[in-house]
Amino acid sequence: MLSLRTLLRHPIQFAIMTLGIALGVAVMVGIDIANASAARAFDLSTTAVTGRATHAIVAGAQGVDESLYVRLRTDPTWRRTVESAPIVIAYAVSPQLDDVPFTLLGIDPFAEAPFRSYLGVGGAEQGARLEAIASLLTVPGSVLLSAPTAEHYGLKPCSPDDIQDSCRLRISIHGEMRDAYLTGLLEPSDSFARRALESLILTDIATAQSLSGMSGKLTQIDIILPEAFDSEAFAATLPSGTELVSSELRSDQVTEMTNAFQVNLTALSLLALVVGMFLIYNAMTFSVLQRRAVFGTLRTIGYTREQIFGMVLREAALVGALGTLLGLGIGVLLGQGAVQMVTQTINDLYFVLNVRGVQIPASSLIKGGLTGFLASVLATAPPAWEAASVPPRLALSRAGLESKAQSVVNIVAVLGGLIALTGAVILTVPTRNLVISFGGTSALVIGLAALTPLVTTSLMHVLSNPLGKGFGLLGRLAPRNVIRSQSRTAVAVAALMIAVSVTIGVQVMIASFRTTVILWLEQTMQGDIYIAEQGLSATRLDAPLDSQVLALARSHPLVQSSMTIRNVTVESEHGPVELIAAELKRPMDSRLFLVAQENPVEAMRDGAILLSEPLANRLGISTPGETLALLTPTGWKSFPIAGIYTDYASTRGTVRMSLDVYRDVWNDNQLNGVVLYLPPGVDADAVTADLRSQLKEFTTVGVNPRRVLREGALVVFDRTFAITAAMQLITTLVAFIGVLSSLLALQLEKAREMGILRALGLTVNEMRHLTLWETGLLGASAGLLALPTGYILAWILIFVINQRSFGWTLQMHAQPAPFVQAFLLAVGAALLAALYPAWRIGQMQPAAALRGE
Amino acid sequence: MTAFLRFHDLTKSYYEGDVQRVVLQNAHAEFQASEITAIVGKSGSGKSTLLNLISGIDEPDGGQIWVEGQELSALPERERTFFRRARIGFVFQFYNLIPTLTVGENVSLPLELNRIPRPLARKKAEDMLDAVGLLDRRETFPEKLSGGEQQRVTLARALVHDPRLILADEPTGNLDEETGAQVMSMLTRLTREQGRTLLMVTHSLEAASHADRVLRLSHGQLLAER
Repeated sequence: MLSLRTLLRHPIQFAIMTLGIALGVAVMVGIDIANASAARAFDLSTTAVTGRATHAIVAGAQGVDESLYVRLRTDPTWRRTVESAPIVIAYAVSPQLDDVPFTLLGIDPFAEAPFRSYLGVGGAEQGARLEAIASLLTVPGSVLLSAPTAEHYGLKPCSPDDIQDSCRLRISIHGEMRDAYLTGLLEPSDSFARRALESLILTDIATAQSLSGMSGKLTQIDIILPEAFDSEAFAATLPSGTELVSSELRSDQVTEMTNAFQVNLTALSLLALVVGMFLIYNAMTFSVLQRRAVFGTLRTIGYTREQIFGMVLREAALVGALGTLLGLGIGVLLGQGAVQMVTQTINDLYFVLNVRGVQIPASSLIKGGLTGFLASVLATAPPAWEAASVPPRLALSRAGLESKAQSVVNIVAVLGGLIALTGAVILTVPTRNLVISFGGTSALVIGLAALTPLVTTSLMHVLSNPLGKGFGLLGRLAPRNVIRSQSRTAVAVAALMIAVSVTIGVQVMIASFRTTVILWLEQTMQGDIYIAEQGLSATRLDAPLDSQVLALARSHPLVQSSMTIRNVTVESEHGPVELIAAELKRPMDSRLFLVAQENPVEAMRDGAILLSEPLANRLGISTPGETLALLTPTGWKSFPIAGIYTDYASTRGTVRMSLDVYRDVWNDNQLNGVVLYLPPGVDADAVTADLRSQLKEFTTVGVNPRRVLREGALVVFDRTFAITAAMQLITTLVAFIGVLSSLLALQLEKAREMGILRALGLTVNEMRHLTLWETGLLGASAGLLALPTGYILAWILIFVINQRSFGWTLQMHAQPAPFVQAFLLAVGAALLAALYPAWRIGQMQPAAALRGE
Repeated sequence: MTAFLRFHDLTKSYYEGDVQRVVLQNAHAEFQASEITAIVGKSGSGKSTLLNLISGIDEPDGGQIWVEGQELSALPERERTFFRRARIGFVFQFYNLIPTLTVGENVSLPLELNRIPRPLARKKAEDMLDAVGLLDRRETFPEKLSGGEQQRVTLARALVHDPRLILADEPTGNLDEETGAQVMSMLTRLTREQGRTLLMVTHSLEAASHADRVLRLSHGQLLAER
């Protein structure tokens, strides 16, 4: 009852505390939901394709020859023991399906039953399902969709006996528009089947091969091996150029790619919660300090320490529960926005992913709820203990409390220094474990935050004289009031410092990254015009280029020379890797090499390869001379590594080799792109326009001058960091709320002092100026300490976190602008937070304030 | 003779929840320059409210207040603040010193508010502290002083800018008998020496004995006690 009344008597303080924890929880839950939705969508898409397969036979970009499947089904040795099913997979988009990526899955209906349950027979709709699947075999170009998906997009199937234009589905695969016919719908038997089918276009092998241009080839053959089966013996019988891979391992390799990205987001979301915890701690400390006299009285009339402790904790539990509930609600809304950003980044950087629905896993809500609630209670424990320790007599004087606070400042600073040092030591541990890295970073930042009271006190001592001389009474009063309000404001200022330093750190990191990428683009993109099929990914060439396009482009009279590129995914001994095979007509910019043997390009002509930095990091290769085995049509082949080069296009890693060598080894003449070089002085935009008009019938071919492509790359870059910026903004908002909460509570406590000043003749405006001076100084203290902390954080993000997360080496480019902006942000946020308290001064009744001793 | 301070039909009431409590009901009084007046009355009778109205901190519901011929109750809030800053010295029961300022700075505060140059303000503050016997404590912060010492600093602060009117709210209410007597002697001595008008509210008969005139505030009216 007492707890509830206390909260209700200070509704604004109560509301701000609740909002602080709500925002912290909301960001965490929002990001968790976005990550979980993306992970769930990925799981569903892999499960939808993989089904119950234990292994798959793969053969890199070339695909598996379908004769192998025939052999597996007919070979008497394997026929009885090994279940197999052929698969052709391609990514397709259709204007009738709102251009969102779908997986085109080609199957053999007769082999499916053991693999993908939702395609099997059984259940109430058995007849309809069999009829739909049968249509795949009887109608060329027929495809199936799940009934809910078809309904969602307003599509209706034709009867297999009566194919009409109304059921024609225009789909684009590898940039080519083709026609398919919707001849049936699959009615999902349960919620799993519904979700698994919602992003699938199902067809038979022959149609899939025809639509995706994989005649005679399969993407893979799914295999179910019995338990304790000798998979190595089975693998040994497979023809060279094919490999047996475990489905689980393959799925893990892919999810591992996005792990770093998702861990980084989670770490940032936790930061908002940490700032929220600071606020709860601050608000509860304040609330306890305000009521020391009440606690003293309660102790006098017989309350035990435990009862007081419990009372304060109950208040925190109430605030925590309300804040957490509110946070969960906001988090779900936030998650819906964040899922689009996360999905976009995964599509840009990693793989094609279609998140059709936002998953709100109970685990995210429980995790967010528990963390929010426990964080509130834990953050309250120290002030609750302080309350319980009040001696059973009248409260300590405010002056006494501040003296106590002042004596603690140095101890807190020493402890902070030690924590920061521990964090620094943790960061020197050579590990790729991001939890350890973020743990070290947090310790460092929190340790530095503990220096805030000392910095504030020192700064105020330094400023006291000049401000007094320059601005008279207000200038002298303000810094002293700041020092005297440390017990109330220190934590809020520390929280603001953390938020502002994160702003600096993240901004400097993003700016450094952006500058590094711009420099890298200049070094890498030396061609004048780039022609490629527009695929589904922003950073990969994943569609083959028509040979006519190539011939037309090369024959343009203003084209001086050209360089063709093949981009495929190949199997390496460490899982799938991107391979870029390019003609070696021009030397690579030497600045692109991190390490290289002498004349690496010459070595590439002889069959050597280059590794991108993220791949080299992932494989633990730091010097040339080692080898990497890649799966070729003739089996595994080791390629000597001639060097490691800078590459920011992919975090999964890229192998670069000579196009001639690639063609020799893989016997693949397809190309994905061509780079055109023009003589000096020729207008690339004019040639681009000319080529576009010549290539207008190839609607999916992109012809872009270097400038446009660079701009496009930067758009992807900015899109990748959009979510980071959004979260950083929320963290600052939480810190802002903290300062506002502190100032309001401080004002409540200083009402009498303000009354005295008013009685002595300070006008309302002078009082407002005094408040703004004080908060401006608080903001300046936070901003000042945030400058070195932000710089350190930027350094860690660039040289430790980025390196360990993505394997990239970035150049640090610390411009003054983010530092100046951040300092102004700190002062601005503090001043903004003071506006409402300053306004309230005008509403204050000095007589009432003087009465309220 | 024109009264230095007078009020007429002064009315003030407060709401406590839904209940209106009238503390001043058409009160009248006049005070001459250099006069020391004590106002006594029960707790809650409205003594402090009367001082707040006279100083312009609070506004009456009705009636007028004149100080040196100027109608204070007709001035806007900002003007009342400037009036108070220049012409009124305050002595509070709980001293109400500013904890972040030293003793010397507390005393020079009214001078600085009145734009007196700092060196002069410091000199005057030191003179005033000397007068109350606390010059050697000018660099000390208020929390280090005893109650009696703090009240002497309050006296110095109330008198340092030569206000025409001193308002004292229970100046000895928080002090022991002996210290209270010392403070009262000092207050009345300094007030008389400077020719100021002192209006104090008190419970203490001993404090009231220093006054030229004693009024009782009862049922919202001021009545002559002595």
